[in-house]
Amino acid sequence: MARNERSGAPPRFMGVRTGPNVATPSALPTLLGTTVRRSLVVGRISLAISCFMVVVYSAGFGFGGPLLISIGAYILPIFAVAGGIGGALVYSNDRLKGVLEYIVAYGLRPQRLLVNAVVASAVQVSIILALGIGAGVTTYLLSGHPMVPALVAVLLGYTVPMSFLSAGLMTTVGVYWTSLASPRSGMNSPLGVLPMIGLLPTGAVLILALAAPRAHAAQLVGAAELVIFIVLMVLWVRNERFMPTERLLSPG
Amino acid sequence: MSLPQPPAGITDPPLPSTAGSISLACRGVDAGYRDRPVLRDVSFAIDRPAIYVVLGPNGAGKTTLFRTIAGILRPTSGEVFVRGAPIVHQVSRDQMHYLSHMDGMPDGLTVREGLEFYASIERATAADVDRVLDQLEIRPLADAYVSKLSAGQRKRVSIARIFLVERSIYLLDEPTANLDPKVAREIRALILKLSQNRIVLYSSHNLFEAREIGEYVLALKDGRLTLFDRMENLRGTHFIIGVRTLEPSAALAQWERRGDYYLKEISGPDQVPGLIQELERQGVRIREVREMENPLEELFT
Repeated sequence: MARNERSGAPPRFMGVRTGPNVATPSALPTLLGTTVRRSLVVGRISLAISCFMVVVYSAGFGFGGPLLISIGAYILPIFAVAGGIGGALVYSNDRLKGVLEYIVAYGLRPQRLLVNAVVASAVQVSIILALGIGAGVTTYLLSGHPMVPALVAVLLGYTVPMSFLSAGLMTTVGVYWTSLASPRSGMNSPLGVLPMIGLLPTGAVLILALAAPRAHAAQLVGAAELVIFIVLMVLWVRNERFMPTERLLSPG
Repeated sequence: MSLPQPPAGITDPPLPSTAGSISLACRGVDAGYRDRPVLRDVSFAIDRPAIYVVLGPNGAGKTTLFRTIAGILRPTSGEVFVRGAPIVHQVSRDQMHYLSHMDGMPDGLTVREGLEFYASIERATAADVDRVLDQLEIRPLADAYVSKLSAGQRKRVSIARIFLVERSIYLLDEPTANLDPKVAREIRALILKLSQNRIVLYSSHNLFEAREIGEYVLALKDGRLTLFDRMENLRGTHFIIGVRTLEPSAALAQWERRGDYYLKEISGPDQVPGLIQELERQGVRIREVREMENPLEELFT
Protein backbone atom coordinates (compact mmCIF):
# COMPACT_ATOMS: atom_id res chain seq x y z
CA MET A 1 0.00 0.00 0.00
CA ALA A 2 1.62 3.21 -1.13
CA ARG A 3 1.43 6.39 0.82
CA ASN A 4 -0.54 9.35 -0.43
CA GLU A 5 1.58 10.75 -3.22
CA ARG A 6 0.85 14.38 -2.48
CA SER A 7 0.97 14.51 1.29
CA GLY A 8 3.06 11.45 2.05
CA ALA A 9 0.52 10.59 4.71
CA PRO A 10 -0.35 7.00 5.54
CA PRO A 11 -3.68 5.66 4.29
CA ARG A 12 -6.59 7.24 6.06
CA PHE A 13 -9.35 5.49 7.91
CA MET A 14 -12.42 7.60 7.67
CA GLY A 15 -15.92 7.85 6.38
CA VAL A 16 -16.94 4.38 7.51
CA ARG A 17 -20.62 3.61 7.44
CA THR A 18 -22.15 2.59 10.71
CA GLY A 19 -23.82 -0.79 10.50
CA PRO A 20 -27.26 -1.32 11.92
CA ASN A 21 -27.24 -2.33 15.53
CA VAL A 22 -30.49 -4.21 15.35
CA ALA A 23 -30.98 -7.09 12.96
CA THR A 24 -32.76 -10.37 12.92
CA PRO A 25 -31.65 -13.56 11.20
CA SER A 26 -34.46 -13.07 8.72
CA ALA A 27 -32.84 -9.82 7.62
CA LEU A 28 -29.77 -11.71 6.43
CA PRO A 29 -29.59 -12.41 2.72
CA THR A 30 -29.94 -16.04 1.64
CA LEU A 31 -26.90 -15.82 -0.67
CA LEU A 32 -28.74 -18.20 -2.99
CA GLY A 33 -28.22 -16.19 -6.16
CA THR A 34 -24.53 -15.72 -5.44
CA THR A 35 -24.08 -19.40 -4.64
CA VAL A 36 -25.75 -20.42 -7.90
CA ARG A 37 -23.59 -18.03 -9.86
CA ARG A 38 -20.42 -19.15 -8.14
CA SER A 39 -21.27 -22.81 -8.69
CA LEU A 40 -21.57 -22.11 -12.42
CA VAL A 41 -18.11 -20.52 -12.40
CA VAL A 42 -16.39 -23.03 -10.11
CA GLY A 43 -18.02 -26.06 -11.76
CA ARG A 44 -17.83 -24.69 -15.29
CA ILE A 45 -15.53 -27.38 -16.68
CA SER A 46 -17.62 -30.37 -15.61
CA LEU A 47 -20.74 -28.48 -16.64
CA ALA A 48 -19.35 -27.62 -20.06
CA ILE A 49 -18.16 -31.18 -20.72
CA SER A 50 -21.50 -32.61 -19.63
CA CYS A 51 -23.41 -30.13 -21.78
CA PHE A 52 -21.27 -30.91 -24.81
CA MET A 53 -21.56 -34.67 -24.40
CA VAL A 54 -25.26 -34.61 -23.68
CA VAL A 55 -25.99 -32.57 -26.80
CA VAL A 56 -23.87 -34.82 -29.01
CA TYR A 57 -25.21 -38.08 -27.63
CA SER A 58 -28.84 -36.97 -27.42
CA ALA A 59 -28.79 -35.64 -30.96
CA GLY A 60 -27.24 -38.89 -32.15
CA PHE A 61 -29.73 -41.03 -30.29
CA GLY A 62 -32.58 -38.84 -31.58
CA PHE A 63 -31.72 -39.65 -35.17
CA GLY A 64 -31.62 -43.35 -34.28
CA GLY A 65 -35.33 -43.74 -33.63
CA PRO A 66 -37.53 -44.75 -30.66
CA LEU A 67 -35.26 -47.42 -29.21
CA LEU A 68 -32.10 -45.38 -29.25
CA ILE A 69 -33.69 -42.22 -27.92
CA SER A 70 -35.07 -44.24 -25.00
CA ILE A 71 -31.55 -45.44 -24.24
CA GLY A 72 -30.45 -41.82 -24.37
CA ALA A 73 -33.19 -40.89 -21.91
CA TYR A 74 -31.97 -43.60 -19.52
CA ILE A 75 -28.35 -42.44 -19.54
CA LEU A 76 -29.09 -38.73 -19.41
CA PRO A 77 -29.06 -38.64 -15.55
CA ILE A 78 -25.43 -39.81 -15.64
CA PHE A 79 -24.41 -36.60 -17.41
CA ALA A 80 -26.67 -34.55 -15.20
CA VAL A 81 -24.95 -35.90 -12.09
CA ALA A 82 -21.46 -35.38 -13.51
CA GLY A 83 -22.24 -31.81 -14.51
CA GLY A 84 -24.11 -30.88 -11.34
CA ILE A 85 -21.17 -31.03 -8.97
CA GLY A 86 -20.73 -27.24 -8.79
CA GLY A 87 -22.87 -26.81 -5.67
CA ALA A 88 -20.78 -29.30 -3.71
CA LEU A 89 -17.58 -27.75 -5.08
CA VAL A 90 -18.55 -24.31 -3.82
CA TYR A 91 -19.49 -25.65 -0.40
CA SER A 92 -16.27 -27.63 -0.08
CA ASN A 93 -14.11 -24.67 -1.16
CA ASP A 94 -15.96 -22.37 1.21
CA ARG A 95 -15.36 -24.64 4.15
CA LEU A 96 -11.66 -25.06 3.41
CA LYS A 97 -11.11 -21.34 2.88
CA GLY A 98 -13.01 -20.14 5.91
CA VAL A 99 -15.92 -18.58 4.03
CA LEU A 100 -18.47 -20.70 5.90
CA GLU A 101 -16.92 -19.60 9.18
CA TYR A 102 -17.62 -15.97 8.31
CA ILE A 103 -21.10 -16.67 7.03
CA VAL A 104 -21.98 -18.54 10.21
CA ALA A 105 -20.48 -15.72 12.28
CA TYR A 106 -22.94 -13.37 10.58
CA GLY A 107 -25.78 -15.61 11.70
CA LEU A 108 -26.63 -17.60 8.57
CA ARG A 109 -27.83 -21.10 9.46
CA PRO A 110 -25.99 -24.20 8.22
CA GLN A 111 -29.25 -25.52 6.77
CA ARG A 112 -29.42 -22.51 4.48
CA LEU A 113 -25.94 -23.30 3.19
CA LEU A 114 -26.95 -26.89 2.40
CA VAL A 115 -30.08 -25.73 0.59
CA ASN A 116 -28.03 -23.22 -1.40
CA ALA A 117 -25.62 -25.94 -2.54
CA VAL A 118 -28.47 -28.26 -3.55
CA VAL A 119 -30.31 -25.54 -5.45
CA ALA A 120 -27.08 -24.54 -7.22
CA SER A 121 -26.65 -28.16 -8.28
CA ALA A 122 -30.28 -28.32 -9.42
CA VAL A 123 -29.75 -25.28 -11.64
CA GLN A 124 -26.86 -27.03 -13.37
CA VAL A 125 -28.92 -30.18 -13.77
CA SER A 126 -31.69 -28.10 -15.33
CA ILE A 127 -29.28 -26.71 -17.91
CA ILE A 128 -28.03 -30.18 -18.84
CA LEU A 129 -31.52 -31.65 -19.01
CA ALA A 130 -32.81 -28.78 -21.11
CA LEU A 131 -29.97 -29.20 -23.59
CA GLY A 132 -30.11 -32.99 -23.60
CA ILE A 133 -33.85 -33.39 -23.92
CA GLY A 134 -34.07 -30.46 -26.29
CA ALA A 135 -31.38 -31.84 -28.61
CA GLY A 136 -32.68 -35.41 -28.44
CA VAL A 137 -36.35 -34.68 -28.97
CA THR A 138 -35.67 -32.12 -31.68
CA THR A 139 -33.54 -34.46 -33.79
CA TYR A 140 -35.94 -37.31 -33.07
CA LEU A 141 -38.91 -35.32 -34.41
CA LEU A 142 -36.92 -33.77 -37.27
CA SER A 143 -35.92 -37.22 -38.49
CA GLY A 144 -39.60 -38.06 -38.92
CA HIS A 145 -40.31 -40.17 -35.83
CA PRO A 146 -43.59 -39.67 -34.00
CA MET A 147 -43.69 -38.73 -30.33
CA VAL A 148 -44.75 -41.83 -28.40
CA PRO A 149 -46.24 -41.94 -24.89
CA ALA A 150 -43.58 -44.39 -23.73
CA LEU A 151 -40.83 -41.87 -24.42
CA VAL A 152 -42.69 -39.15 -22.58
CA ALA A 153 -43.21 -41.53 -19.66
CA VAL A 154 -39.49 -42.36 -19.49
CA LEU A 155 -38.53 -38.71 -19.60
CA LEU A 156 -41.03 -37.59 -16.98
CA GLY A 157 -40.96 -40.71 -14.82
CA TYR A 158 -37.26 -41.49 -14.83
CA THR A 159 -34.94 -39.06 -16.62
CA VAL A 160 -36.04 -35.79 -15.03
CA PRO A 161 -36.75 -36.93 -11.45
CA MET A 162 -33.75 -39.23 -11.25
CA SER A 163 -31.45 -36.50 -12.53
CA PHE A 164 -32.56 -34.08 -9.83
CA LEU A 165 -32.73 -36.69 -7.08
CA SER A 166 -29.32 -38.18 -7.89
CA ALA A 167 -27.66 -34.78 -8.13
CA GLY A 168 -29.44 -33.71 -4.92
CA LEU A 169 -28.21 -36.81 -3.14
CA MET A 170 -24.70 -36.31 -4.47
CA THR A 171 -24.60 -32.69 -3.29
CA THR A 172 -26.15 -33.46 0.09
CA VAL A 173 -23.76 -36.34 0.74
CA GLY A 174 -20.94 -34.07 -0.45
CA VAL A 175 -21.89 -31.34 2.01
CA TYR A 176 -22.14 -33.81 4.88
CA TRP A 177 -18.99 -35.65 3.97
CA THR A 178 -16.96 -32.50 3.42
CA SER A 179 -18.09 -31.21 6.78
CA LEU A 180 -17.62 -34.38 8.78
CA ALA A 181 -14.37 -35.62 7.25
CA SER A 182 -10.84 -34.32 7.59
CA PRO A 183 -9.80 -32.35 4.51
CA ARG A 184 -8.31 -34.50 1.80
CA SER A 185 -7.57 -33.89 -1.81
CA GLY A 186 -7.55 -35.88 -5.01
CA MET A 187 -9.64 -38.87 -5.92
CA ASN A 188 -9.91 -40.05 -2.31
CA SER A 189 -11.51 -36.78 -1.25
CA PRO A 190 -15.28 -36.50 -0.91
CA LEU A 191 -15.37 -34.46 -4.10
CA GLY A 192 -13.41 -37.10 -5.98
CA VAL A 193 -15.87 -39.82 -5.02
CA LEU A 194 -19.06 -37.77 -5.25
CA PRO A 195 -19.96 -38.43 -8.91
CA MET A 196 -19.94 -42.15 -8.17
CA ILE A 197 -22.27 -41.58 -5.22
CA GLY A 198 -24.56 -39.66 -7.53
CA LEU A 199 -24.51 -42.47 -10.07
CA LEU A 200 -25.31 -45.12 -7.48
CA PRO A 201 -29.08 -44.48 -7.24
CA THR A 202 -29.34 -43.86 -10.98
CA GLY A 203 -27.77 -47.21 -11.79
CA ALA A 204 -29.57 -49.08 -9.03
CA VAL A 205 -32.99 -47.82 -10.07
CA LEU A 206 -32.27 -48.56 -13.70
CA ILE A 207 -31.21 -52.14 -12.96
CA LEU A 208 -34.25 -52.55 -10.71
CA ALA A 209 -36.54 -51.35 -13.46
CA LEU A 210 -34.97 -53.57 -16.10
CA ALA A 211 -34.99 -56.62 -13.83
CA ALA A 212 -38.59 -56.18 -12.71
CA PRO A 213 -41.57 -57.45 -14.68
CA ARG A 214 -42.52 -54.86 -17.30
CA ALA A 215 -45.91 -54.22 -15.72
CA HIS A 216 -44.35 -53.24 -12.39
CA ALA A 217 -41.32 -51.31 -13.64
CA ALA A 218 -42.97 -47.91 -13.40
CA GLN A 219 -44.18 -48.55 -9.84
CA LEU A 220 -40.74 -49.75 -8.80
CA VAL A 221 -39.06 -46.69 -10.24
CA GLY A 222 -41.61 -44.45 -8.55
CA ALA A 223 -41.13 -46.20 -5.20
CA ALA A 224 -37.34 -45.94 -5.47
CA GLU A 225 -37.57 -42.24 -6.27
CA LEU A 226 -39.86 -41.73 -3.30
CA VAL A 227 -37.35 -43.45 -1.01
CA ILE A 228 -34.51 -41.24 -2.28
CA PHE A 229 -36.71 -38.18 -1.84
CA ILE A 230 -37.53 -39.13 1.77
CA VAL A 231 -33.85 -39.75 2.54
CA LEU A 232 -33.02 -36.33 1.13
CA MET A 233 -35.76 -34.66 3.16
CA VAL A 234 -34.49 -36.26 6.37
CA LEU A 235 -30.93 -35.15 5.62
CA TRP A 236 -32.08 -31.61 4.87
CA VAL A 237 -34.46 -31.20 7.80
CA ARG A 238 -32.15 -32.83 10.35
CA ASN A 239 -29.07 -31.16 8.93
CA GLU A 240 -28.22 -29.08 11.97
CA ARG A 241 -28.54 -32.08 14.28
CA PHE A 242 -26.28 -34.30 12.21
CA MET A 243 -23.88 -31.54 11.28
CA PRO A 244 -23.31 -28.99 14.07
CA THR A 245 -21.87 -25.58 13.33
CA GLU A 246 -18.37 -26.56 14.43
CA ARG A 247 -18.22 -28.95 11.48
CA LEU A 248 -18.41 -26.01 9.11
CA LEU A 249 -15.27 -24.36 10.43
CA SER A 250 -12.10 -24.21 8.43
CA PRO A 251 -9.44 -26.65 9.57
CA GLY A 252 -6.43 -25.43 11.53
CA MET B 1 2.04 -17.38 36.11
CA SER B 2 -0.57 -15.92 38.45
CA LEU B 3 -3.51 -13.92 37.23
CA PRO B 4 -2.90 -10.28 38.18
CA GLN B 5 -5.59 -7.95 39.32
CA PRO B 6 -7.33 -6.41 36.32
CA PRO B 7 -6.05 -2.94 35.55
CA ALA B 8 -8.28 0.09 35.33
CA GLY B 9 -10.87 -0.22 32.62
CA ILE B 10 -11.33 -3.91 33.21
CA THR B 11 -14.15 -4.88 35.49
CA ASP B 12 -15.64 -8.07 36.79
CA PRO B 13 -18.47 -9.58 34.78
CA PRO B 14 -21.40 -9.31 34.43
CA LEU B 15 -21.32 -5.86 32.97
CA PRO B 16 -24.36 -3.67 32.92
CA SER B 17 -25.60 -2.68 29.51
CA THR B 18 -24.92 1.01 29.31
CA ALA B 19 -26.15 2.91 26.31
CA GLY B 20 -23.33 4.20 24.17
CA SER B 21 -20.60 2.21 25.89
CA ILE B 22 -18.77 -0.80 24.53
CA SER B 23 -18.32 -3.85 26.65
CA LEU B 24 -17.28 -7.43 26.09
CA ALA B 25 -17.23 -10.05 28.79
CA CYS B 26 -16.62 -13.77 29.07
CA ARG B 27 -17.85 -15.36 32.24
CA GLY B 28 -16.65 -18.88 33.10
CA VAL B 29 -16.48 -19.88 29.44
CA ASP B 30 -15.69 -23.49 28.58
CA ALA B 31 -15.69 -24.13 24.84
CA GLY B 32 -14.19 -26.37 22.23
CA TYR B 33 -15.06 -29.02 19.74
CA ARG B 34 -17.13 -32.15 20.15
CA ASP B 35 -14.22 -34.42 20.90
CA ARG B 36 -11.81 -31.79 22.18
CA PRO B 37 -12.50 -29.23 24.91
CA VAL B 38 -10.19 -26.24 24.50
CA LEU B 39 -11.15 -23.24 26.63
CA ARG B 40 -11.47 -23.78 30.36
CA ASP B 41 -13.17 -21.33 32.67
CA VAL B 42 -12.13 -18.22 30.76
CA SER B 43 -13.37 -15.05 32.45
CA PHE B 44 -12.58 -11.47 31.64
CA ALA B 45 -14.43 -8.26 31.03
CA ILE B 46 -13.47 -5.30 28.93
CA ASP B 47 -15.17 -1.94 28.73
CA ARG B 48 -12.39 0.28 27.45
CA PRO B 49 -11.62 0.88 23.75
CA ALA B 50 -8.08 -0.36 23.06
CA ILE B 51 -6.12 -3.11 21.39
CA TYR B 52 -6.02 -6.26 23.48
CA VAL B 53 -3.36 -8.61 22.16
CA VAL B 54 -4.15 -12.27 22.68
CA LEU B 55 -0.98 -14.32 22.98
CA GLY B 56 -0.25 -17.96 23.55
CA PRO B 57 1.49 -20.95 22.02
CA ASN B 58 -0.09 -22.99 19.24
CA GLY B 59 -3.09 -24.86 20.56
CA ALA B 60 -3.53 -22.53 23.53
CA GLY B 61 -7.05 -21.66 22.41
CA LYS B 62 -6.73 -18.25 20.73
CA THR B 63 -8.76 -19.13 17.65
CA THR B 64 -11.30 -21.01 19.76
CA LEU B 65 -11.67 -17.95 21.99
CA PHE B 66 -12.32 -15.74 18.95
CA ARG B 67 -14.79 -18.21 17.47
CA THR B 68 -16.62 -18.41 20.78
CA ILE B 69 -16.84 -14.65 21.18
CA ALA B 70 -17.98 -14.35 17.55
CA GLY B 71 -20.84 -16.73 18.33
CA ILE B 72 -19.64 -19.42 15.95
CA LEU B 73 -18.93 -21.90 18.72
CA ARG B 74 -21.39 -22.16 21.55
CA PRO B 75 -19.80 -22.38 25.01
CA THR B 76 -20.40 -25.69 26.78
CA SER B 77 -20.67 -23.65 29.95
CA GLY B 78 -20.45 -19.98 30.81
CA GLU B 79 -21.53 -17.09 28.62
CA VAL B 80 -20.21 -14.30 26.43
CA PHE B 81 -21.78 -10.88 26.75
CA VAL B 82 -21.68 -7.85 24.49
CA ARG B 83 -23.02 -4.73 26.13
CA GLY B 84 -24.57 -7.00 28.71
CA ALA B 85 -26.50 -9.05 26.14
CA PRO B 86 -25.62 -12.73 25.59
CA ILE B 87 -23.85 -13.40 22.33
CA VAL B 88 -26.55 -15.84 21.20
CA HIS B 89 -28.64 -12.83 20.20
CA GLN B 90 -28.15 -11.50 16.69
CA VAL B 91 -28.06 -7.97 18.07
CA SER B 92 -24.81 -8.87 19.86
CA ARG B 93 -23.25 -10.45 16.78
CA ASP B 94 -24.07 -7.37 14.75
CA GLN B 95 -21.71 -5.33 16.91
CA MET B 96 -18.69 -7.41 15.98
CA HIS B 97 -16.36 -8.00 13.10
CA TYR B 98 -14.50 -11.29 13.03
CA LEU B 99 -11.40 -11.76 10.90
CA SER B 100 -10.34 -15.38 10.83
CA HIS B 101 -6.78 -16.56 10.23
CA MET B 102 -8.21 -17.92 6.96
CA ASP B 103 -8.77 -15.27 4.31
CA GLY B 104 -12.36 -16.35 3.71
CA MET B 105 -12.57 -14.96 0.19
CA PRO B 106 -15.05 -16.91 -1.92
CA ASP B 107 -13.83 -18.66 -5.06
CA GLY B 108 -15.49 -17.99 -8.38
CA LEU B 109 -15.72 -14.25 -7.75
CA THR B 110 -13.53 -11.27 -8.49
CA VAL B 111 -12.17 -9.14 -5.65
CA ARG B 112 -14.93 -6.59 -6.13
CA GLU B 113 -17.58 -9.31 -6.25
CA GLY B 114 -16.06 -10.97 -3.18
CA LEU B 115 -16.36 -7.73 -1.26
CA GLU B 116 -19.88 -7.24 -2.60
CA PHE B 117 -20.64 -10.76 -1.38
CA TYR B 118 -19.79 -9.70 2.16
CA ALA B 119 -21.33 -6.27 1.67
CA SER B 120 -24.65 -7.96 0.97
CA ILE B 121 -24.43 -9.77 4.30
CA GLU B 122 -23.29 -6.65 6.12
CA ARG B 123 -26.01 -4.51 4.53
CA ALA B 124 -23.26 -2.31 3.11
CA THR B 125 -23.54 -0.56 -0.25
CA ALA B 126 -21.61 -0.56 -3.51
CA ALA B 127 -20.22 2.81 -2.42
CA ASP B 128 -18.77 1.13 0.67
CA VAL B 129 -17.07 -1.44 -1.54
CA ASP B 130 -15.58 1.34 -3.66
CA ARG B 131 -14.40 3.13 -0.55
CA VAL B 132 -12.53 0.11 0.86
CA LEU B 133 -11.00 -0.64 -2.54
CA ASP B 134 -9.37 2.78 -2.32
CA GLN B 135 -8.77 2.69 1.42
CA LEU B 136 -6.81 -0.58 1.27
CA GLU B 137 -5.40 0.40 -2.13
CA ILE B 138 -6.57 -2.77 -3.81
CA ARG B 139 -8.47 -1.16 -6.67
CA PRO B 140 -5.94 -2.53 -9.22
CA LEU B 141 -6.99 -5.99 -8.06
CA ALA B 142 -10.72 -5.26 -8.21
CA ASP B 143 -11.41 -7.24 -11.37
CA ALA B 144 -8.99 -10.09 -10.67
CA TYR B 145 -10.39 -13.42 -9.58
CA VAL B 146 -9.68 -14.14 -5.92
CA SER B 147 -8.23 -17.53 -6.83
CA LYS B 148 -5.53 -15.80 -8.89
CA LEU B 149 -4.23 -13.64 -6.03
CA SER B 150 -1.15 -14.31 -3.94
CA ALA B 151 -1.60 -15.22 -0.27
CA GLY B 152 -0.64 -11.69 0.78
CA GLN B 153 -3.05 -10.08 -1.68
CA ARG B 154 -5.85 -12.35 -0.52
CA LYS B 155 -5.16 -11.40 3.08
CA ARG B 156 -5.27 -7.73 2.21
CA VAL B 157 -8.58 -8.16 0.41
CA SER B 158 -9.85 -10.13 3.37
CA ILE B 159 -8.90 -7.33 5.74
CA ALA B 160 -10.75 -4.85 3.53
CA ARG B 161 -13.93 -6.71 4.48
CA ILE B 162 -13.82 -5.46 8.07
CA PHE B 163 -13.80 -1.86 6.89
CA LEU B 164 -17.08 -2.15 4.97
CA VAL B 165 -19.13 -1.13 7.96
CA GLU B 166 -18.23 0.05 11.41
CA ARG B 167 -18.60 -2.22 14.42
CA SER B 168 -17.91 -1.76 18.13
CA ILE B 169 -15.77 -4.85 18.58
CA TYR B 170 -13.16 -6.32 16.25
CA LEU B 171 -11.85 -9.86 16.62
CA LEU B 172 -8.72 -10.11 14.50
CA ASP B 173 -7.04 -13.51 14.38
CA GLU B 174 -3.50 -13.01 13.09
CA PRO B 175 -4.48 -10.21 10.71
CA THR B 176 -0.96 -9.55 9.44
CA ALA B 177 0.12 -13.13 8.85
CA ASN B 178 1.45 -13.65 5.29
CA LEU B 179 1.82 -9.92 4.71
CA ASP B 180 5.10 -8.29 3.80
CA PRO B 181 6.52 -5.99 6.51
CA LYS B 182 5.49 -2.77 4.76
CA VAL B 183 1.87 -3.78 4.25
CA ALA B 184 1.75 -5.30 7.74
CA ARG B 185 2.89 -1.98 9.17
CA GLU B 186 0.21 -0.10 7.26
CA ILE B 187 -2.46 -2.55 8.32
CA ARG B 188 -1.33 -2.10 11.92
CA ALA B 189 -1.63 1.65 11.46
CA LEU B 190 -5.22 1.22 10.27
CA ILE B 191 -6.02 -1.03 13.20
CA LEU B 192 -4.43 1.39 15.65
CA LYS B 193 -6.64 4.12 14.26
CA LEU B 194 -9.59 1.77 14.50
CA SER B 195 -8.92 1.07 18.17
CA GLN B 196 -9.33 4.67 19.24
CA ASN B 197 -12.98 4.17 19.98
CA ARG B 198 -13.42 0.43 19.62
CA ILE B 199 -12.42 -2.77 21.32
CA VAL B 200 -9.94 -4.75 19.22
CA LEU B 201 -8.92 -8.27 20.19
CA TYR B 202 -5.82 -9.08 18.19
CA SER B 203 -4.02 -12.40 18.16
CA SER B 204 -0.50 -12.66 16.87
CA HIS B 205 2.59 -14.81 16.99
CA ASN B 206 4.70 -11.77 16.28
CA LEU B 207 5.93 -10.50 19.64
CA PHE B 208 7.37 -7.33 18.17
CA GLU B 209 4.01 -6.55 16.63
CA ALA B 210 2.19 -7.40 19.85
CA ARG B 211 4.40 -5.07 21.83
CA GLU B 212 4.10 -2.34 19.23
CA ILE B 213 0.36 -2.10 19.05
CA GLY B 214 -1.04 -3.77 22.16
CA GLU B 215 -2.20 -1.75 25.11
CA TYR B 216 -3.28 -4.82 27.02
CA VAL B 217 -2.22 -8.42 26.79
CA LEU B 218 -4.28 -11.54 27.38
CA ALA B 219 -2.25 -14.71 27.59
CA LEU B 220 -3.75 -18.13 27.05
CA LYS B 221 -2.12 -21.39 27.97
CA ASP B 222 -3.77 -24.80 27.70
CA GLY B 223 -7.11 -23.10 27.24
CA ARG B 224 -6.88 -21.03 30.40
CA LEU B 225 -6.43 -17.29 30.72
CA THR B 226 -3.12 -16.99 32.54
CA LEU B 227 -2.52 -13.28 32.28
CA PHE B 228 -4.50 -10.13 31.69
CA ASP B 229 -2.53 -6.98 32.18
CA ARG B 230 -1.36 -3.77 30.64
CA MET B 231 1.42 -4.27 28.12
CA GLU B 232 3.53 -1.60 29.85
CA ASN B 233 3.58 -3.69 33.03
CA LEU B 234 5.44 -6.38 31.09
CA ARG B 235 7.80 -4.18 29.14
CA GLY B 236 9.96 -3.13 32.04
CA THR B 237 10.78 -6.59 33.28
CA HIS B 238 12.92 -8.59 30.86
CA PHE B 239 13.48 -6.52 27.75
CA ILE B 240 17.06 -7.39 26.92
CA ILE B 241 19.03 -6.31 23.89
CA GLY B 242 22.33 -7.69 22.62
CA VAL B 243 25.12 -5.54 21.20
CA ARG B 244 27.68 -7.10 18.86
CA THR B 245 30.79 -5.07 18.23
CA LEU B 246 33.39 -5.01 15.49
CA GLU B 247 36.18 -5.20 18.07
CA PRO B 248 36.41 -5.68 21.87
CA SER B 249 35.66 -2.56 23.87
CA ALA B 250 36.58 -1.65 27.42
CA ALA B 251 33.30 0.26 27.74
CA LEU B 252 31.44 -3.06 27.66
CA ALA B 253 33.73 -4.91 30.04
CA GLN B 254 31.17 -4.96 32.82
CA TRP B 255 28.31 -6.14 30.59
CA GLU B 256 27.12 -9.73 30.72
CA ARG B 257 27.98 -11.72 27.59
CA ARG B 258 26.10 -14.34 25.60
CA GLY B 259 28.18 -15.60 22.71
CA ASP B 260 29.21 -12.63 20.61
CA TYR B 261 26.65 -10.36 22.23
CA TYR B 262 26.94 -8.00 25.19
CA LEU B 263 23.62 -7.94 27.04
CA LYS B 264 21.80 -4.93 28.44
CA GLU B 265 18.42 -4.79 30.16
CA ILE B 266 16.37 -1.76 29.22
CA SER B 267 12.86 -0.62 29.98
CA GLY B 268 11.67 -0.43 26.40
CA PRO B 269 12.66 -0.21 22.73
CA ASP B 270 12.49 3.58 22.84
CA GLN B 271 15.73 3.54 24.83
CA VAL B 272 17.70 1.84 22.05
CA PRO B 273 18.62 4.93 19.96
CA GLY B 274 19.95 6.76 23.05
CA LEU B 275 21.93 3.72 24.11
CA ILE B 276 23.53 3.40 20.67
CA GLN B 277 24.48 7.08 20.72
CA GLU B 278 26.01 6.71 24.16
CA LEU B 279 28.02 3.64 23.14
CA GLU B 280 29.28 5.35 20.00
CA ARG B 281 30.26 8.37 22.08
CA GLN B 282 32.33 6.02 24.23
CA GLY B 283 34.04 4.73 21.08
CA VAL B 284 32.29 1.40 20.79
CA ARG B 285 32.17 0.26 17.15
CA ILE B 286 28.75 -1.36 16.91
CA ARG B 287 28.15 -4.07 14.34
CA GLU B 288 24.64 -5.11 15.36
CA VAL B 289 22.01 -4.43 18.00
CA ARG B 290 19.24 -6.97 18.39
CA GLU B 291 16.49 -8.00 20.74
CA MET B 292 17.63 -10.96 22.84
CA GLU B 293 14.72 -11.42 25.22
CA ASN B 294 11.21 -10.14 24.93
CA PRO B 295 9.03 -10.00 28.04
CA LEU B 296 6.24 -11.59 26.04
CA GLU B 297 8.30 -14.66 25.18
CA GLU B 298 7.67 -16.28 28.51
CA LEU B 299 3.98 -16.25 27.75
CA PHE B 300 4.69 -18.84 25.07
CA THR B 301 6.49 -21.23 27.42
